[in-house]
Amino acid sequence: MGTDGKSVRGRMSRRAFLGTTTGFAGLALTSGASFAAAKEAPELAAMVAKGDLPPLAERIGENPMVVTPADRIGSYGGMWRRGLRGSSDHNGILRCVGNNGLTRWDMDFTKVEPNVAAGWDVSDDARTFVFHLRKGMKWSDGQPFTADDVVFSIEDCVKNPELYSSVPSILTSGGKPATVTKIDDETVQFQFEEPYALFLEQLATPLGQHPTLFCKHYASQFLPKYNDKLDDMVKAEGLSSWADLFRAKNGDIEIPSRWANPEKPVLDPWVVEEPYVGGATRVIVKRNPYFWQIDTEGNQLPYLDGINFGISQDVESLMLDVISGKIDLQERHINSLANKPTLAANTEKGDYHLMELVPSSANVCSIYLNMCHKDPKMRAIFEQKDFRVAMSLAMDREEIIDLIYLGQSEPYQTGPRPSHPWYFEKLSRQFTERDLDKANALLDGIGLDKKDGSGMRLRPDGEKLFFSVDVIPTLYPDLVDVLELVKSHWAEIGVDIKVNSIERALYYSRGDANDHDAQVWPGPGGLDPMFDPRDYFAAHTQGSRYAVPWAQWYVSNGTQGEEPPESQKQRMKLYDQAKATVDLEERGRLMHQLFELTADAFETVGVCLGVNTFGVCRNNFLNTPKREPDSWTYPNPAPALPQQFFFES
Amino acid sequence: MLRFIFKRVLWMIPALFAVSFLAFVLIQLPPGDFVTNYVATLAASNEIIDQNAADALRERFGLGEPMLLQYGKWIWGILVHGDFGTSFEWQQPVGDLVWERMALTLTLTLSTLVATWAIALPIGIFSAVRKYTIGDYIVTSISFFGLAIPSFLLALVLMYIAVVIFGQDVSGLFSDEYQNAPWTWAKVADLIHHLWIPVIILAVSGTASLIRVMRANLLDELNKPYVTTARAKGLSEFRLLMKYPVRIALNPFISTIAWLLPNLVSGSIVVAVVLNLPTAAPLLLQSLLAQDMYLAGAFVLLICTLTLIGSLVSDILLAIADPRIRLE
Amino acid sequence: MTEATTNAGPPRLEVASQSKLIWWAFRKHKLAMAGLIVVAILYVIAAMPGFFAINDPSAQNARTPFHPPEAIHLWSDDGFVGPHFVPSKLKRDPDTLAAIYVPEPEKAVRLVLFGHGYSYRLFGLIETDRHLFASSDPKQPFFPFGTDRLGRCVWSRIMQGAQTSLSIGLVGVALSLIIGVILGGISGYFGGRIDFAIQRVVEFVLALPTIPIWLALAAALPQDWPATLQYMMITIILSLTGWAHLARVVRGRFLSLRTEEFVSAARLDGCSEGRIIFRHMLPSFMSHIIASITLAIPAMILAETSLSFLGLGLQPPTISWGVLLREAQNVRSIATAPWLFAPGGAVVLAVMALNLLGDGLRDAADPYNK
Repeated sequence: MGTDGKSVRGRMSRRAFLGTTTGFAGLALTSGASFAAAKEAPELAAMVAKGDLPPLAERIGENPMVVTPADRIGSYGGMWRRGLRGSSDHNGILRCVGNNGLTRWDMDFTKVEPNVAAGWDVSDDARTFVFHLRKGMKWSDGQPFTADDVVFSIEDCVKNPELYSSVPSILTSGGKPATVTKIDDETVQFQFEEPYALFLEQLATPLGQHPTLFCKHYASQFLPKYNDKLDDMVKAEGLSSWADLFRAKNGDIEIPSRWANPEKPVLDPWVVEEPYVGGATRVIVKRNPYFWQIDTEGNQLPYLDGINFGISQDVESLMLDVISGKIDLQERHINSLANKPTLAANTEKGDYHLMELVPSSANVCSIYLNMCHKDPKMRAIFEQKDFRVAMSLAMDREEIIDLIYLGQSEPYQTGPRPSHPWYFEKLSRQFTERDLDKANALLDGIGLDKKDGSGMRLRPDGEKLFFSVDVIPTLYPDLVDVLELVKSHWAEIGVDIKVNSIERALYYSRGDANDHDAQVWPGPGGLDPMFDPRDYFAAHTQGSRYAVPWAQWYVSNGTQGEEPPESQKQRMKLYDQAKATVDLEERGRLMHQLFELTADAFETVGVCLGVNTFGVCRNNFLNTPKREPDSWTYPNPAPALPQQFFFES
Repeated sequence: MLRFIFKRVLWMIPALFAVSFLAFVLIQLPPGDFVTNYVATLAASNEIIDQNAADALRERFGLGEPMLLQYGKWIWGILVHGDFGTSFEWQQPVGDLVWERMALTLTLTLSTLVATWAIALPIGIFSAVRKYTIGDYIVTSISFFGLAIPSFLLALVLMYIAVVIFGQDVSGLFSDEYQNAPWTWAKVADLIHHLWIPVIILAVSGTASLIRVMRANLLDELNKPYVTTARAKGLSEFRLLMKYPVRIALNPFISTIAWLLPNLVSGSIVVAVVLNLPTAAPLLLQSLLAQDMYLAGAFVLLICTLTLIGSLVSDILLAIADPRIRLE
Repeated sequence: MTEATTNAGPPRLEVASQSKLIWWAFRKHKLAMAGLIVVAILYVIAAMPGFFAINDPSAQNARTPFHPPEAIHLWSDDGFVGPHFVPSKLKRDPDTLAAIYVPEPEKAVRLVLFGHGYSYRLFGLIETDRHLFASSDPKQPFFPFGTDRLGRCVWSRIMQGAQTSLSIGLVGVALSLIIGVILGGISGYFGGRIDFAIQRVVEFVLALPTIPIWLALAAALPQDWPATLQYMMITIILSLTGWAHLARVVRGRFLSLRTEEFVSAARLDGCSEGRIIFRHMLPSFMSHIIASITLAIPAMILAETSLSFLGLGLQPPTISWGVLLREAQNVRSIATAPWLFAPGGAVVLAVMALNLLGDGLRDAADPYNK
């Protein structure tokens, strides 16, 4: 899919591609050829005929992106029915409508392809990125999209300290934000302080969309720099500051108000018609008449008239909608494995089929024993690798897989998934066999050989060895079940734990304050090891819960937290190098070294490989994916290009 | 009487301050704040917020400031500008959000109230007058069953049956085509078509308890000497019943008006969540769970005000219904 | 009271205490008697759930997820063999992953009355493994109400949940009753300034929204407490706000009663204020209070289930009826495992029985009752 001429160019560009003239000429030719046959949605054609809308060729510009449909050329019409939750589910819209960055992912989630940018050049030191935009491309209100918009988004908005007290980390390198300059209307340059090869991939993720988020001719009226009468507007809207007004009108990547303003020009295939606001019962997005993509026969995309997101307070009413065939394609909120038998049993009734989702996570449940525990006695135990190995050996993973994951997984620790080119056997499979004798011997060997009357082990100081494992039942009910089983397995080697079901905010504040004994979370980094390496080294202050102070040390460049051991420091250095490396093979080699160290340190204890889940798709909904990665960095289904989904008539 | 009302209204002012402050403190009492909850919610879909962005949010919402200062700013805004603040989550003025849902909430609550009273009062009277008859046993059993069944369970099962067996659309209050359409008769008809399931579910439990209270109260009165006297004087049984015992038996009902008004907002949260009703209750629950301070605060303030007003109204009604009660 | 009179004879009636009179009247009410019996049984179960359970309520079993309920058979093909059941074996549908159970009639297992099962502590003290009935083969567990997603015995979980759900509400109701009647009584009886002051307090308490209080307290309570103790604390604190409702009702009755002749008579006789309130006025609307309590206990049970539903109440692995219902509250259970709603039956049974009991008590306590 999406293999027009430019994607080749995109791939070549990875190696500091230069000399673009021939590429452009060739493109202009093919694009020109397709215009003759260009077609558009009937209602747009009617508006053109009445003179309410400029003709198609003017709307899509000279260099529209050509998308190869997944199965076949579609037909126009129809609304895609989907579900949202009532609160904080703005990303449910983003994942269908709004992931239109300068680059985008290919379907396999391995490399980036051109999107808003038709191509790019990267300097050898990976510090200068020049993006070539599409000539004649328009915002959804018909105004041209140019390099000025990109410069405005970053320089005037993102770097404005009253809007963003610090620049999003994706746009920084070496602690300094990028400098964005306009070369000409269709060319824009990003300059970084330090090498930042991962930038192109970051641009394809949801958090990398700032360059194409704010539209200069609209958003500038909400900045004091461009508008003297801004104070009056703020007062008229009943808000307290211009920054509030800016956010209410323009949103940001991940806040609900991004979908609350129908007037805001966008680059998305559909524009908001009924907004996502506090009292909304549904959200409707409708076709963007200026959308800048066409199919291989020159038909303007999107095929669908729009998307109708119904808002459910309770997931169960969404389930009922699926069963009764009122949802066309959905994976969000319903894809818990436990729902699969019910949804599979009703495929005929609802006239849908199941699609397969491959999670980006490495593990369903990483157990983070707090190696920086505030209590030195507990720390002394958790710090020992032998202790963690014993804990791992004592688990009966087969039972957990059979009972909770319906036999759909395999014992696993952490590391890139088996399908990933960076898969690392030792990191992923060590200590996953069950061996109670060895586990007991290891525990005896580290001074935990004394037991109380009921056969439970005592710490060297004579206290009972006991700790609680935090889990959020409302978020991950299956992990409570997993821990209940793990508790019974560990009891067999004399280790007693409490399954501590707590409210999610409490989970976070305990972790942030380093007050936890141990916590569990699905272990990420299975398909996106570069983006979420929290299990490979202490990278994430809220994610690397086995050693939060080490992560603080890393993130703050050594000014906060606690200095980590040598192995961690080496990994931090290796990761920083890998991030700056353009060459994919070289990057893989660096990460392999990192994984080697992670495997030796064995910090997190895993249960089993992240389980494939599923989505539902109505049988008459075509060009839809049969199997896709399920991730945040690959914000499915957007990379499968919903603009080319269509209903069979 | 007027003096009494005036005095009571005056007393509401300090009470409101006290309650609003306590509410403000309570909303913030759980660990974490809006940003923590926000990050946690996104994490549920494995979505990550930029670290810098989280800190920026916290700073922008003023969550780092001392609580007293936050409260002061909030109350000052309300008193001076009538500004209830901006919802953290929705970036919308809180006032708009709250009022937007009140009309439908009112419709639903009043329909339920009417249905409940219309069913409960006659049955309660019947059940008291015909005590220990087959009729009483049947009515008693049914009403207790209604009282006993958890409403969320009933709601889900009814919804499942309606959707899977009858193929009806039952969630929400409107069909898709009427959702944002202007009010027409067809839309009203559509509303009524959707309204009956929540009204029944909400009325089932309410009716049961009302029947019991009505029966209990009426039985208290029916055996009193004055009823015997009235009967001896030859008053018709129906008039006799209606004129005194029923009127007095209503007395504790009137006391309950005090918490009927706040229930308009906070009642039936569970059913509204399951049935996906666009009423105020789910929004209130969300705002509390998300620690969306000002939105939750406005709701709490509204509930408190309604309670205080309801309590005043019920005292006045009590005096009207039962002349034996003097207010001062 | 005619029946009691004829049974017992006039002399006994005259000397009978108030409680005896109430009991005589109560016995006439058949539904109430049925309620009493059910409540008694339920509280016996709540006192020793382990005895009535069949399998360990927390024990997961990989071989029995979503096992449907099993019937007790008395006859096999060979004639009468006594109570037994037919075990079945798990197969999983490869496409839908649904659990399918194939019965194995040749392996019929006997059920033993007072048999041995998992070991537990009776009344939290005596260690034993005797159960009301048990499977004679420990490898073939018996599931009269089926199992949940983790293969845990629903019957045994209901028994265990009874302990939590039935006991926990009692404390709250008792507390709110005491405070409510005392404060409401004082307020209604004395009127004036005291009434005004107490009413303001009541209003203040009533105006406090309960849900934020719940959230706040659930979070503020120490984490190392057992979940049951936490819930008990929350119940108590809730009852401290719950008394306000009762206080208002009581006050309303007092306001109308204090001008009645019998009260004036008592006052002229020189009775103390306390005596007038508790001896003369309170009994005259005892029935209403009883009705309120009997509605309050089941309301606590229902509140527990609702709060569990909102995720604010008890959390698994604690077992209560609310937690069990929360786990069943989904389309999957209705469609594929309807037996998971059995705890709902237990809730309905308990709430109905308590209500019928209270209803009968109310009627019986009414001095004017004929």
